[in-house]
Amino acid sequence: MKALRAKLPSLAFNWWLAWLVFLGLFLAGGLTAGILVFWKGLSLTNLTDLVPWGLWITIDLSSIALSAGAFSLCAGVYLIGLKRYEPVARTATFIGLTGYSMAMLSLLLDIGRPDRFWHAMVYWNKHSLLWEVTMCVCLYLTVLLFESMPIIANFEWLRKRFPKLTEKMSQVHHYAPYLAIAGLGLSCLHQSSLGAVYGVLKARPIWYKPGLSVLFMLSAIVGGIALTLFASMLASRLTPKARINDGLIERLSHFLGWLLMAYFYWRAWDTLAMTYTYQPGRTEGLHLLTSGPLAFNFWVGEMLLGIFLPMVLLLWQKTRLNPFWRMLALLMVAGGLVAYRWDTNLSGLLVVLSYMPGELGVGYTAYKPSLIEFVAGFGVISYGLLAFSLGVRYLRVVDHRFISKVHEPVEVQAVESVTA
Amino acid sequence: MSDNKISRRDFLKITAVGAAAVAGYSSIRPAIASGPTQAGPHQWVMVIDQSKCTGCEYCTMACRAHNDVPPDISWNEVFEVGELNGQKVFLPRPCMQCAEAPCVEVCPVAASYYRSDGIVMMDYDRCIGCRYCEVACPYGARSFNWKKFDGPNPAVPEWGQPEVARRPRGVPEKCAFCYQRIDRGLAAGLKPGIDPDATPACVVACPTGARIFGDINDPESNVSKLLKSTNTYRLREDLGTSPRVYYIAADPAKMKMEVSS
Amino acid sequence: MFSKIERLLFSLMVALVFAGVTLIIAQAKAQPAPVMQATPDNCGACHSDFMHSWQDGPHGQAFSDQVFQKTWADQGKPGACLVCHTTGYDPATGTWSQDGVACISCHNPIPANHPKDPMPVDKSTDLCGTCHSDTRFNWQDWKVSAHYQRNMTCVVCHDAHSAGLKNVDTKNTASSATTDDVSALCINCHQEYAMNFSYSAHHQQGLSCVDCHLLHIEKTTDGSTAHQIPDHSFTASLTTCNTCHENQMHGPTQPSVDTSAAETTTPAQSQSNPSMQFASVTPEPQPVSPLGFAGLAGLLGLAFGMVLSPWLERAYHIVIKKDKDKEEDEHE
Repeated sequence: MKALRAKLPSLAFNWWLAWLVFLGLFLAGGLTAGILVFWKGLSLTNLTDLVPWGLWITIDLSSIALSAGAFSLCAGVYLIGLKRYEPVARTATFIGLTGYSMAMLSLLLDIGRPDRFWHAMVYWNKHSLLWEVTMCVCLYLTVLLFESMPIIANFEWLRKRFPKLTEKMSQVHHYAPYLAIAGLGLSCLHQSSLGAVYGVLKARPIWYKPGLSVLFMLSAIVGGIALTLFASMLASRLTPKARINDGLIERLSHFLGWLLMAYFYWRAWDTLAMTYTYQPGRTEGLHLLTSGPLAFNFWVGEMLLGIFLPMVLLLWQKTRLNPFWRMLALLMVAGGLVAYRWDTNLSGLLVVLSYMPGELGVGYTAYKPSLIEFVAGFGVISYGLLAFSLGVRYLRVVDHRFISKVHEPVEVQAVESVTA
Repeated sequence: MSDNKISRRDFLKITAVGAAAVAGYSSIRPAIASGPTQAGPHQWVMVIDQSKCTGCEYCTMACRAHNDVPPDISWNEVFEVGELNGQKVFLPRPCMQCAEAPCVEVCPVAASYYRSDGIVMMDYDRCIGCRYCEVACPYGARSFNWKKFDGPNPAVPEWGQPEVARRPRGVPEKCAFCYQRIDRGLAAGLKPGIDPDATPACVVACPTGARIFGDINDPESNVSKLLKSTNTYRLREDLGTSPRVYYIAADPAKMKMEVSS
Repeated sequence: MFSKIERLLFSLMVALVFAGVTLIIAQAKAQPAPVMQATPDNCGACHSDFMHSWQDGPHGQAFSDQVFQKTWADQGKPGACLVCHTTGYDPATGTWSQDGVACISCHNPIPANHPKDPMPVDKSTDLCGTCHSDTRFNWQDWKVSAHYQRNMTCVVCHDAHSAGLKNVDTKNTASSATTDDVSALCINCHQEYAMNFSYSAHHQQGLSCVDCHLLHIEKTTDGSTAHQIPDHSFTASLTTCNTCHENQMHGPTQPSVDTSAAETTTPAQSQSNPSMQFASVTPEPQPVSPLGFAGLAGLLGLAFGMVLSPWLERAYHIVIKKDKDKEEDEHE
């Protein structure tokens, strides 16, 4: 018994174990919900012919958008030459891998025929934006896998068992610039195409604008970087296995603050511009956003907490340097991104436009996710959290001391440099 | 030069591999959705006369029987759109079979495609059920199979019998101008729109003759003559979808119910 | 030399390849099921639905029906009856091919490669009229009706297979219950009359369309009752009114039955947009719940309080200190 105890980590109350059990519960629930949906069909959800896309599509969109830190930071590090941020880019790449796999999971749940998910890769429709998104996401997932190989090669067990393999995997890092180019190209394509999926539909006036692609792209970059930074800071506070160079995070947060200002300008102007002239469908959608069921989500979730407050917190040095306020701001940005995706999806679908002759009539419908949608959605999210937690613990995903041999360590001149 | 820079040899190797990969990928010719197909000899068009439509929904039920549509889905919806001189005016809405169909443009696997005779077809075996076509359709013509449709169809056999396979759960479905009847009729030498066996079930079932079907490519056909002689309109023409279903607006003079014997 | 495991794996792979190739070849060679030749006797083999609805109805039981058998036997089993009550009756030999009104009575000639070629059917009234002709069925009334004048045929209202009326309840997806009231079929096309009629005194007494427009039965010229059908002119004649209002003819206008206050105004028709005829579409969006507002206010208050807390605390201390000084002053 003593020998057993010596082998296992402390069996007394162990936060790590508790966290695993907590995630495990949600995962089990999600798995059950997923099996039920595959078995009984989508009639278990509250999706209807009027609102065919709901919570799961929002999770899918948000996962892809929040993984945008990977391509933007890798582009910054390997293509622009900001080599000092390489450790953060490492974290972002791993988060990207997790996020894209979460997106695939939630998509698998959502499509009517999950057994035919591979059709998009074999049957092409080059006119379809959703096809383009699917192809780019699949290709980018491959790129992310390659980019993550050096990270996975850090796994101690793998190192011991397959030393030659891990050595080869680490060498993939040589090709990082090429992977970064591929990643940048593919991400620019699909992050904006996700916006265009909505933006090309003439049938839904509130969506029908080219600016939707740009907004999706910009919000993805902002939210993705924010999530990476937040996850890094949180991990470093929760476990000694994660170590950050606060100076790097602080610099990136400052940059994020300015990006948020650009995003704020664009989003506010995009909304304001829709108030000019009445357009059936668009004005009603705006009404939903500003004073209807989506109002709380829009004003508080998106604008106040999602953009404005974090912008102030990150641009004002006093709060930016305070880890608590910075973390809060970063979390709010990520939340705001999710709120934006939810708002975009529903503001178009909740408005029912008539096609009868004469003046276009407008009606409204409602949508609230069912229990199964929530449970399955939480299951996907807990999968993501689990993957990240395991990465932090075993793959040194958040470790700013870990600098590959390729780059020389650079001292960042920050006002306060803290290694948590 | 520090040893982290890639040598010229390596660079050439990588570029060669990349180029080969691109060439190899493009040499694989998976089934690709064609754009607007070559127009065929026939172009089917439907005209609906609202003066004659009484809203009896015989068309909906005949469609339900002939295409094995579940009871909670209607490929052909009949709407009450107003009143004229105390009589209600109805508008039946099949799939518009748009010449510029948003559903064909957005389907990621090209399960929706144009046929050479203008019918927008659905390949139910290819569809992955993503419902993008449903979101994109301005006419709400598509219905998703949220549930599996088991058991007998209540409209069968009174209103007809199924002529196409029942769709599985997880794919959207829509009216296809009874292409199966048109094809079978043409093969037997019949004329769609004239011979009932070659004409869509809704057109045949209409007791008042409010629905007319025919080939717009044939200048002598019933629809061509009708479209030339009568004012017609189409739904949401501003969207640029070019629907193939034309409507003749209700005329109070034609809607007199009384008949002088 | 391979180890045992490796040998086993290798043979498994070979087995898989063999099985796979065989499967492919076998599937390619699989013959399609043979197609039956359509004959007058085996229609039901494919069209079981039609068969079932036919065999329980008057067409299917035209020969086997007890009433027919008795009447026919009482009259000495004349061959004239069998012309309609059987299929393919040959007066010369006195034989027939099928009992009742079978499939080929209406669906002939059978194409050689059915189901490839569609089965023909004459949907005109002439075909129905070969049996339901005016000497037995008062067909003249039909010619007077608006339905005939608008080129409607028998099959607009009647289902030829079950030989009954068409059931329009299938369009109400909520219930598939059938109704005994055949007036539902009338109302299906003549919806305006249905709207106005519901508020009339007649309806309040439990009358429906068929009670006045189809009840009147003319006597047939051959004097029998078996072949009587309701008057298909659909006109309500004096005889119809007299059924209930006999006492009022040429008398005071008091009806013999009590009428409660009957409004003849139609209710306001909600002119909601037609494509909004889904239960889930409303003219106004969901209202924001008061709880939502309360929660928002609470959150804002919380944030407000947290941000202003240092100043609030300072103010609190100042106020308390002032009070303390005041107290001390007073005590002194």
